[in-house]
Amino acid sequence: MLQVEDLHAGYGASEVLTGTTLTVKQGTVVALIGANGAGKTTTMRAISGGIKPSRGRVLLDGKEVQGLDASRIARLGLAHAPEGRKVFGPLSVEDNLLLGAYGRLPKFFGYRAKAQADLDRVYELFPRLRDRAGQASGTLSGGEQQMLAIGRALMARPKVMLLDEPSMGLAPVIVQEVFRTIRRLKAEGITLLLVEQFAKSALEVADYAYVMEHGRIAVEGTPAELSRNERVLAAYLG
Amino acid sequence: MRRLLLLRGAELIVFAFLATIPLLVVNPYALGLLTLLAIYGILLIGLDVTVGYLGQVNLGHVAFLGLGAYTAGLAVTKLGLGMAPALLAAMAVGLLLGGLLALPALRLEGPQFALATLSFAALSTTALNELESLTGGAQGLSLTRPPVFGQALTPPGFYWLCMALLAMVWMLMRNLLASQWGRAFEALRDSPIATDAMGVGTYRHKVAAFALGSALGGLAGGLYAFNFQYLQPQSYTYDLMIILLLGVVLGGRKSLWGAFVGASVIVLLPNLLSNRHLFQIFSGAGFAAALAAGLHGLMKKTVRPFQALAPVVAMGLLVIGGLLVENTEDWRKAIFALMLFSVVVGLPEGLMGFLSLFLAKLFRVPHAPLPEPSDIETILPPRSPDGAPLLVLEDLKRYFGGVKAVDGLSMTVRSGTIHGLIGPNGSGKSTVVNVISGLYTPTSGRTLLRGSVLPTGSLFRVAQSGVARTFQNLQLFGELTALENVMVALKGVYRSPLPLVLLGLARLEERRAQADALCLLGRIGLRDQALTKAKDLTYGAQRFLEIARALARKPDLLILDEPAAGLAHPDVVQLIEIIKRVHQRGITIILIEHHMDVVSELCDTVTVLDYGKVIAEGTPDEVKRHPKVVEAYLGQPPEPDASGAPAPEPA
Repeated sequence: MLQVEDLHAGYGASEVLTGTTLTVKQGTVVALIGANGAGKTTTMRAISGGIKPSRGRVLLDGKEVQGLDASRIARLGLAHAPEGRKVFGPLSVEDNLLLGAYGRLPKFFGYRAKAQADLDRVYELFPRLRDRAGQASGTLSGGEQQMLAIGRALMARPKVMLLDEPSMGLAPVIVQEVFRTIRRLKAEGITLLLVEQFAKSALEVADYAYVMEHGRIAVEGTPAELSRNERVLAAYLG
Repeated sequence: MRRLLLLRGAELIVFAFLATIPLLVVNPYALGLLTLLAIYGILLIGLDVTVGYLGQVNLGHVAFLGLGAYTAGLAVTKLGLGMAPALLAAMAVGLLLGGLLALPALRLEGPQFALATLSFAALSTTALNELESLTGGAQGLSLTRPPVFGQALTPPGFYWLCMALLAMVWMLMRNLLASQWGRAFEALRDSPIATDAMGVGTYRHKVAAFALGSALGGLAGGLYAFNFQYLQPQSYTYDLMIILLLGVVLGGRKSLWGAFVGASVIVLLPNLLSNRHLFQIFSGAGFAAALAAGLHGLMKKTVRPFQALAPVVAMGLLVIGGLLVENTEDWRKAIFALMLFSVVVGLPEGLMGFLSLFLAKLFRVPHAPLPEPSDIETILPPRSPDGAPLLVLEDLKRYFGGVKAVDGLSMTVRSGTIHGLIGPNGSGKSTVVNVISGLYTPTSGRTLLRGSVLPTGSLFRVAQSGVARTFQNLQLFGELTALENVMVALKGVYRSPLPLVLLGLARLEERRAQADALCLLGRIGLRDQALTKAKDLTYGAQRFLEIARALARKPDLLILDEPAAGLAHPDVVQLIEIIKRVHQRGITIILIEHHMDVVSELCDTVTVLDYGKVIAEGTPDEVKRHPKVVEAYLGQPPEPDASGAPAPEPA
């Protein structure tokens, strides 16, 4: 569903990605782990169009999308729940969710009705968001904002979802909830690329995983294979 | 030596050349232009302090030129003062009124600040116009250039005076900007909050910088008066202000050379416009340059299409205009506007910013060798903690509207311990830290450090009292190097008074500061990256740098706000090591963290918050077993589930 081939990208003069190649098959959860600065978040940004790759290809459902605007890529079926949540703080929870579906809804009339089924689905997944539907999203706790960011990405009915550091800065009890949610989405058949600092937890939910070092993939394999890899074990799984 | 030659050589050559010009050229017109160049140079260096270093749009600088000019003019005509005292008076008026304007205006940000300065400019022009009895109003004020030390000044003499003053301003500014002052200016632009939290005092530095820039405006005004010997209020309006901004932006912000280049452009522009043929050549050259730069940038993919295209279009308009319009001077405002637009889009760093990239490749200027790091024993002498209460919170409350973020918190941190503070998101941990460190004022309650009440509501004053902190969402000074980030915060090293700093006599303490900062960087394993800009460091390194910077405060109490957030496993291991090393120096630490393994390994005592109240306190093992903590915070440990099969639904 998502293929990344020999991707190069960076900020200004400094190249962060030096030839990243990875594949996310339909209906699978793929984990991307690695040290800080290895290029995980940059990979996500380069895929979703936040930065333009200088070389390489990104194929979404067989279609080349590298170099397109982020909004185009989003309309083609890629949703990105970025690091640090990035919810629209002053807007209500529900407006945040509706914006998630913006690309495929009518702009003036009737969008609410068209989005109702998706809203219901998100509220069913995160009942706490329903309770807070009218509240400004900036006043939510960190955990609730993460739920909202995931919910907003789901509203787009994406073919592929990128989820960057969902557990960052969250209490252990909320981190467990985030991972329960990911498991549930996986059971529903979502296609997901997950970047996560808690490598152990990420490998527990993933079907396949890549380890990044210095801007490229250093090791890849099933979680079981990686858990047997001495080097990965020592460096990332502690 | 080679370094000094490269850095100072260009300045020496240019100024030596400028000094000999009157001996070679006797064209009075050219000499007049060069005199103006010196005056505008001083003026733009002053403007660059606010626009470049403080990063604020200052639309009032032209007023200080006018006020300085009239001060000098009146000092000569009404008081019969000589040139030197008249110039000093012009500077003093700039300094004083600049400070007075800055006191309220710098409480504002961005557009509001720009508007405040614009109003000031309008006000001062009106005042000069209406105070007819004093200034002669729209009639203008005529004066004759007074003698200097009894000697009447010839045009070359006045030229030398202006150039000498420019050279002096240049030298003093260079010394100032290379000192802790210059670093503070840069730091407060990147993060005012962190500048305050490092005990530097954002507001007072901003006011001082603005007053300084205005004083230079006043000095330039004085010279301006003696140059033209006739003053009119209309000379100091927004027309000129736009040109001055064009000069700074075109020349290149945050650069003395930029101000000089900008001043040259300003001086030459009117001549360019008065000659249609010259203007056509100039606009053609500008068009060609924009086209070449745009194509080059597009090929190398360093600029976006808009960035490449816009200057070409703007310059193209100038070329077409130059061919169609008879009298280019009538169109000068439109021409300035187009030029300003092209520069802002196409050369955001200005000519000098652009050139310096090339020059840096041509002449590799080695960085001055760094001193040997100081000994940690002298920077952070080990303390023997006595276990007595260091920080005491008494019934602390902080409400935001109806939300009780901190609701009656009492807590004691004993000296020499690492005290953990944990709790669910939204439980009030960050608010507690922000109240202690002075970012928020408590609704009620007290905080005591060693028995005396901590100031409230001022990051700066709390920092002065011996509390240092890091920030959950990094607040580094991105444009400064790792070394400079630590140097900004260094406590107890910078003692030289401002005059010595200006004269460049504070080098010794600068070396000492570098040595101390290097030592602290060594403690976090970043000595090799001392000269890397903070924004170019990896995320983990940035987190560690925050700790080193806080250590430079030599604090009694160090508050670490989620130092492990977003860190991958290898970095977490290093972080634990760093915190242990800090603790060995006898520094008391409050640690806010979600990684329970970090908390367990480091903390002596842990306080658990929920809804702004303490729900448990004790050793890590005690609180981990506490049922309330398990329920509200830890949750049940997940069952091992390596197969990736769907887990049971949450209850």
